[in-house]
Amino acid sequence: MTSTPRALFALVLALTLAGCGGNLGGGSGDAAAFPDGDPITVYVGQDPGGSTDLIARALAEQVSHDLGVAVVVENKPGANGALAARELAGKKPDGHTLMIFNGSLAYITPLAVAAGQAPDLADYDIVTGISQDDYVLVTTATSGLKTVDDLEDLGRTVTFGTTGVGTGSQLSQELLFAQAGIDATAVPFDGGSPTLTAVLGGQVDVGSIQLGEAVEQIEAGRLTPIVTFAQERVSYLPRTPTAIEAGYDVPVQQSRAVFAPKGTPSSVIGSLEKAFGSAFEAGTYRAFNRDNQLTPNEVDGKTLRTQWTQSLDTYRAVTREHRIDLGGEQ
Amino acid sequence: MDIGPVIDGFGVVLEPANLLYCLIGVVIGMLVGVLPGLGPAATIAILLPVTFEIEAVGAVIMLAGIFYGAQYGGTITSVLLKLPGEASSVVTVFDGHALARQGRAGTALGIAAVGSFVGGTVSVVAMSVLAPVVAGFALDFGPPEYTALALLGILLVSTVAGGGRLKALIAACLGLLLAVVGRDAFTGGERFTFGSLDLADGLDFVPIAMGLFGLGEILHSLEQRHRAVHAPVAVHDVWPSRADLRQSSGAIGRGSVLGFVLGILPGGGAVMASLAAYALEKRRSPHPERFGQGAVEGVAAPETANNAAATSSFIPLLTLGIPANATMAVIFGALLVQGVAPGPQLVEENPELFWGVVNSMYVGNVLLLIMSIPLVGLFVRVLRVRPAVLAPITVLITLVGAYTVNNSTFDIALVVAFGALGYLMKKLGLEPGPLVLAFVLGTLLEDSLRRSLLLFGGDPTGFVTRPISGVLLAAFVVVALLPLARGRRREPVDQVR
Repeated sequence: MTSTPRALFALVLALTLAGCGGNLGGGSGDAAAFPDGDPITVYVGQDPGGSTDLIARALAEQVSHDLGVAVVVENKPGANGALAARELAGKKPDGHTLMIFNGSLAYITPLAVAAGQAPDLADYDIVTGISQDDYVLVTTATSGLKTVDDLEDLGRTVTFGTTGVGTGSQLSQELLFAQAGIDATAVPFDGGSPTLTAVLGGQVDVGSIQLGEAVEQIEAGRLTPIVTFAQERVSYLPRTPTAIEAGYDVPVQQSRAVFAPKGTPSSVIGSLEKAFGSAFEAGTYRAFNRDNQLTPNEVDGKTLRTQWTQSLDTYRAVTREHRIDLGGEQ
Repeated sequence: MDIGPVIDGFGVVLEPANLLYCLIGVVIGMLVGVLPGLGPAATIAILLPVTFEIEAVGAVIMLAGIFYGAQYGGTITSVLLKLPGEASSVVTVFDGHALARQGRAGTALGIAAVGSFVGGTVSVVAMSVLAPVVAGFALDFGPPEYTALALLGILLVSTVAGGGRLKALIAACLGLLLAVVGRDAFTGGERFTFGSLDLADGLDFVPIAMGLFGLGEILHSLEQRHRAVHAPVAVHDVWPSRADLRQSSGAIGRGSVLGFVLGILPGGGAVMASLAAYALEKRRSPHPERFGQGAVEGVAAPETANNAAATSSFIPLLTLGIPANATMAVIFGALLVQGVAPGPQLVEENPELFWGVVNSMYVGNVLLLIMSIPLVGLFVRVLRVRPAVLAPITVLITLVGAYTVNNSTFDIALVVAFGALGYLMKKLGLEPGPLVLAFVLGTLLEDSLRRSLLLFGGDPTGFVTRPISGVLLAAFVVVALLPLARGRRREPVDQVR
């Protein structure tokens, strides 16, 4: 970080703190009565219909039931969610504006875009973690490729499709090929579905896709899973090794959490955490997780902040070590 | 061909809600068809945000209805008032209004309705057979093929657009430049974003279309003097006589085929099809001097062709994700707003949507045939609504709508800015169509080109050695060189004008 954004950040922080100080005096009564009949808006930084949106809607329904107020999901797509994140940071910290935050925005995007273009975790309070989504490296069934070694044996530059710059899809493959010493070219596509199409059509050799999006074609036998980038074997793909098992240390996951603007009173965070906690317990929500191959990561805000901060540090270190530049000229 | 999904598609259309959307669509279409100045592209652009609340299938059924419904509506004012409601009904004026002056307005409207119905229906049938075949090549379409297709599309649009080739090319170049704005999808680098996150994803297509087509057209039409509406010529005997039908059956048959083919071509569409079909009939006729004096074929041919083309122009959009004309570009935007990516995978992944929309066109054509004849008087009355009333309402709907798509106030500012640009372009005789299309295809062109070069390891010969992209590039060269080879020979289209 250069000195200018740092100064700017300090200023923003100071202003936020000042604003919150003013709130605390008369706000404690409000906080006790939260949500006091007023609706809650939940931002989603992606288009309707995507995984983040589906998760938001599945939770909103339950939380609304628990708190007895309307919980409205509002899609504000743009810049991978950075647009919605910026807007959230500027909202009144009263618990009535929240966001389903994508982990990649916090720990991968900063490696790919200019400083100041990615959100800073310090600008937010975290209500709770939600769940994790695994990436799987796939190839079209007709390619005959089955393992990472097969890719190495091709003896030529491997082309790999990514779901975009600064995504887990890109990071996972860049790390894998760097560690395996395979010469590979990244071909970025615009999201999961076009990447899937390119892999199916053999336009690229392999692609890394979120499990929920690939599972249908894997079951249909049209895609071959090579490795997953999960920490442990994925229960949905018991026969597919993780990259770690295959000998490469590249766990990359998409993680999601509930964020609030910095300075939200701790009692409000507490009420929200409780409401989300009971939403997580609902049978329909558990079934939703199963159907979408999502692994629960329902940790508290403090733990989540540690997880994501560590991820950013780890990724920053390994990309440096392997001289990977996610945003670099290709 | 697997017939199952086709039949399921009819099930989708016949759901009461979808039938209603189809009806709403064709009625709105007829209305805007009647109103000069407000075209289908503008209407669809303005109504885009409304469709956001509707299920994808219903939304597209409705928008499609507006498009082909407008082709019917445009005929009515051409015949009765010598005032073409749509560009695609301009040639209908020649013989349609001549017939009306002879007291045969009913015949002209009747034959146009029959022709439109036949043209539309023939086109849907052909589309049902052809579209899955095209989509069958889906997975063979990789980045190089899309590069070639986008190039060809931009070239064709600039070649055939109204207002002259140079002006169309200027508009297309503007569109290409606007497509460059935003975070570079390959490096994450910022391009013309001025550090603003609002511009990080580039300019959004929807506010551009709403501004250029919607707001721009309204501003421009406010300048026009409101013409006093003539009392409509009395309409009777709407069902065409057997002799009229016999006389125009050839024109309807040829118009269907010609319209279908021209509709598929990028840059083609209803306007070009109507002009070409009229020219063809005039040339084939043993008595070309009858044209312009009230020849029934002169009404049948363009009206059949414009409907056939309006229908078939959905093929490239729904199978390849390439919009063939400006209206299709707006519908492309509508699909994206709905979270549906139009492209090769659509037939397979979303058969209800694909066949629902295609089959809704049969229903829509029947509805139009039923409505167009008895309701002629009602639609003509719409012309009495003063622009002073219509314009502010439309502007309000446009601006509110622009906000609701992304809940972004920045989008409202964009609509206003592009509204002003659209107005200026109209004043300078530049069509917004090529700009919008080049904007959509520009992103595709750049991304596909760079993806291709990554895949080829930087070797551009790969474009020619892959069969599909090679053929498309050959077509590009032919189209680009054609005007040179033709020399000074005038095109049939010009003779009509």
